[in-house]
Amino acid sequence: MTKTYKPAEPIWCAGCGDFGVQGALERALIDLNIAKHDVMILAGIGCSGTLQNNVGTYGYHALHGRVLPTAQGVAFANPDLTVVAVGGDGDGFAIGAGHFVHTVKRNPNLVYIVMNNSVYGLTKGQDSPTMDSEGAAYGLDATRLALSIPGASFIARGYSRWSHQLHELTVAAFEHARAKRGFAFLEVLSPCVTYNDTYASWDSMLDNVDDDPNYDPTNMSMAFTRGVELDEVGRMPAGIIYRNDNAVGREVPPAMSKQNLDPAQHLDSYGKIMASYAV
Amino acid sequence: MNVTTKPGADGGDAASVSKRHLSDISVMVAGQGGDGSLTIASLLSQFFASHGFHLYSTSNIASRIKGGHAAAFLRASVEQTGCMGDHIDLLVAFDDEAVVNAAPSMAADGIVVFDGSKGPPPEGVLAESVQVFSVPFGRLAVRDLGRDLLKNCLGFGIVSRVLGIKDDDAEGSLRKRFQRLPAAVVETNVEAFRIGLQSAEEAGLELGNSPWTVDSGEREEHLMIGGNDALSFGFLAAGGRFYAGYPITPASEILAWLERRLPAFGGVAMQAEDELSAINLAIGAALTGTRSMAASSGPGFVLMQEGVSQLGSAEIPLVVIDCQRAGPSTGMPTKVEQSDIGTMINGGHGDYPKVVLAPTDQGDAFEIGAYATNLAQRIQGPVIIAMDRALSQDSTTVKPFDLEAVKIDDAKLLSREEVQKLDEYRRYLITDDGLSPWAVPGTPGGQNLVTGNERNEWGLVSAEPKNRKKMIDKRERKIESVRDDLPKGARWGDRKAKIGLLGFGSAGPILVRAGIRLADAGTDVQVLRPRTIWPVLDETLAFIEECDRVYVIEYNNAGQFAHVVSGAGADKGKMVSMLKYDGVPFRAVDIANFVLEREAEGQ
Repeated sequence: MTKTYKPAEPIWCAGCGDFGVQGALERALIDLNIAKHDVMILAGIGCSGTLQNNVGTYGYHALHGRVLPTAQGVAFANPDLTVVAVGGDGDGFAIGAGHFVHTVKRNPNLVYIVMNNSVYGLTKGQDSPTMDSEGAAYGLDATRLALSIPGASFIARGYSRWSHQLHELTVAAFEHARAKRGFAFLEVLSPCVTYNDTYASWDSMLDNVDDDPNYDPTNMSMAFTRGVELDEVGRMPAGIIYRNDNAVGREVPPAMSKQNLDPAQHLDSYGKIMASYAV
Repeated sequence: MNVTTKPGADGGDAASVSKRHLSDISVMVAGQGGDGSLTIASLLSQFFASHGFHLYSTSNIASRIKGGHAAAFLRASVEQTGCMGDHIDLLVAFDDEAVVNAAPSMAADGIVVFDGSKGPPPEGVLAESVQVFSVPFGRLAVRDLGRDLLKNCLGFGIVSRVLGIKDDDAEGSLRKRFQRLPAAVVETNVEAFRIGLQSAEEAGLELGNSPWTVDSGEREEHLMIGGNDALSFGFLAAGGRFYAGYPITPASEILAWLERRLPAFGGVAMQAEDELSAINLAIGAALTGTRSMAASSGPGFVLMQEGVSQLGSAEIPLVVIDCQRAGPSTGMPTKVEQSDIGTMINGGHGDYPKVVLAPTDQGDAFEIGAYATNLAQRIQGPVIIAMDRALSQDSTTVKPFDLEAVKIDDAKLLSREEVQKLDEYRRYLITDDGLSPWAVPGTPGGQNLVTGNERNEWGLVSAEPKNRKKMIDKRERKIESVRDDLPKGARWGDRKAKIGLLGFGSAGPILVRAGIRLADAGTDVQVLRPRTIWPVLDETLAFIEECDRVYVIEYNNAGQFAHVVSGAGADKGKMVSMLKYDGVPFRAVDIANFVLEREAEGQ
C-alpha cells in the first residue's frame, strides 16, 4: 500500500465542539463502509476549516466562503466520490451566504456540515452572522433560510454535546447525498469554549424534534411553523427539520472526470462543428 | 455631397462618378437597432464569401437589448487582412444619424446609399466628393409590400447595383442566405430585392452602368469565426470538459458556445451565481483531473483573482480567460481595450507562477485555447488568456483548424496503477522541474491534502522558513521548465528593418496593415505580435534589442504592455508608445502616420 500523509492532530481548544463533529464524521465513514480514497473533504477557512487534515481522506482547503462552489465542482465532475463540505457559520452564512442560497437551490449530491459557534474564533472573537447580540442584531437561522429556498431536500440541526443524535444525523446526511437525493445540510451547534461558550444556553434552547412523535420532517409547512414558534419563545429546533426522500439531486453529464478525451475518437464530431463555420 | 435621386437628362449623375474596381471594400450599414443593419451586411457577406473574398465583420452597438443606434461593418478583401479598412467605402444609411456617424470615416470617393423615406440626407455633413444615392426604400417596402423590415432586401437590391453585381448573382446570395426560411418568406424577400433593383434603375443605377465593379478572390474554403467561439472550440478539442462563468460582455459567447457543445462530449458549462462561484466551481472540477476553464471580462476577472492566486499556490490547473473591455470599473462594456495587462500578470495576491497568452487573431484563438488547456495540466497552475473585445466578438475568415494536430498531454497526472506502484506519495514533492506528480481523488493510496496555505510536501500546513523558501522556489521553477515551449509570436516584415512595431491581440493585424503602408511610403518596419505576454520571452527582448526604435502600440492609457516589457529588461529609451483608449479600433493609416511623423522628427 502506498504510504501517504499522516493525518494531523486537531488544532482545537480542549472542549471545542468541533471534536464531536469530527468524531461523528469518522464514525459515519466507518458505519457506511466508505473507503477513504473515495472521500473528499473540502473545508472553509476558520477553526473548523482544518478538519480535512485530520481524517486521512482526500482533502482540500477552500478559499474563505467558497467551499460550496468548490465542492459542487468536485461532485459534478466525479459523482463516484463522497463529497463533504465543512466550515463555520462565518464562512457559510456571511462571506459565503450567496453560495449557500444557490447551492440549496441546485441541490447537488454532497454533504455540508456547518460548525456553528456564533463567533469568529480563529480571528479572536468577532461577531458572526448567527450571533444574537441582544437587540443590536438578530442571529441568522440558516435552517429556516434553507427551508425558504426551492430545491431544499435535507435540513438538520445537531448539537456537538448530543453525540448520539449527532452521529445519527451525520449518517442520515451521508445517506441522503450518497443516494443521490441531493444536498444534505447539517448545521451543528459547536460551541467555542474560548470566545463564546454557549453550552449552557444551547442546552436549554434546543427542542429535539426527533423525539416528537407528532413532528413530521417531510412536511415543509410544519417545519416552518415549528421553527417560527420556537423562535418566538427564544428556542430552536434540533434533529431532522426537513427531508424530502423523493428529491433528485442534480447531476450533470456523467462523470466529466471520466470522459474519453482522445481527440482521435472525436474527429468526426469536431469536424462537424468546424464545418458549421465553413465559408 | 452629390445627391442623385433620379437620372439626369444626360443619363444620370452616376455617370460622373469615377469608376472603381474594388478588391478591398469596407462597408458600414447603420440605423436604429431593429432596422436590420445586420441583414444587409450578412447578405453582402454571403455574396463576397461565395466570390472568394476574405471577410472581416464587426458591429458597433449600444449596451442595451433593442434600439439605440447600431452599425454593422464588413470588410471584404481579396487579400486576408484580419481587420477593418481605414475608411468606409460604402455606407448604407437608414437615417441621418448614420450619415453623421459615418461621415468622418467616409472615403473621399465613397458612396452612400441613403433611405430617403423621411427626406433628403443631412446637408453639409459629407464631403462633396462622396456620391449619395437617396432612395426611399423604407417607404417603398411599406407601400409595395406592407412591411417595413423588407427595406433590407430592397436596400440590398440597390447596393448590388452600386457594386455592379449581376442581378442573378445577388439574388442567388439572397436565396442562399435565407435558405432555411419558409419558401413564401424567401419569395417575399426576393420580391423586395427586385423592387430594390427597379428603384435603383430609377436612381440612375442601370444594369451595366454601375459606378463600381468588384473583383473576384481565390480564397480556398475557410472558416468565418469569432475569437470567443474559436477559443471555446480549442478548449473542447484539447479535452476541456468543464466550464463555469457568469454572464458578462464580451465573454458571454464562451458560456453560450460551451453550454451548447459540451454536453455531447460528456461535459458541462455552468452559469454560476457570480464570478467567485464560477472560478471555484471550475477549481472543484479541476481537482478531479477534469480539464476546466473559467472566463470573464475585467470586472468579473478581478473578482476571480482570489481564485487565481489559489490556483498558483495550491497548484491547480485551470484556464482563465479575460475578454478585456474598456475599463476602469464598468467602463464601456462594448468597446475595445487592452487595459487589464497589469491585472492578468499581477492581479492575484502574493508570488505565484502564471502564464499569460494572447492569440494573434481569431484563428489563433483555437490554437491558444487548445495549447492553454494542455499547458494548465502541465504546470498545474493558472494559464490566463488575454482576449479583447474585438478579438472575442469580431468574426473573420481563417484557415480551417488542424484538428488532428491537437494532442492530449496529461503531463504528471498519475494513473491508478502508477500510484499503486509507489512506495509513498507526496502531493507537493519537490522536484527539479518544480512539477509534482498528481493523484486525483478516487485513486487508492493517493490521498492528499490540497491547500493554498504554505505546506510541506505532504500538504500539511507549515510556516517553517526553510520549507517556505523551497516551496516558493519549486513553484517558480515550473515556469522555467516550460519557458522554451511557450508560444512564439507572429512576425512580419524584413528582420533587418530597424524600426519595429510591437503589439498583441486585435491590434496585431492592424500593425501588419500599417507595415504595408509604411513600406509603400518607403519606410521598412518589422512587426512582432507576441503570443506569450507573461513571462516576457527572449524573442521580445531581442526584437527591441535589434531595432533602433520600437513602437509599442496598445489599447490603454498607461502603456501597460510597454511597462511589462521594459520591466523585463528591454531598453526603455528605444520604445515609443502609441496608445488608444477611446473605444475605437486603431487604423493602419493613423499608425503609419504616427511612425512617419516621429521618424521625421528624429532626423
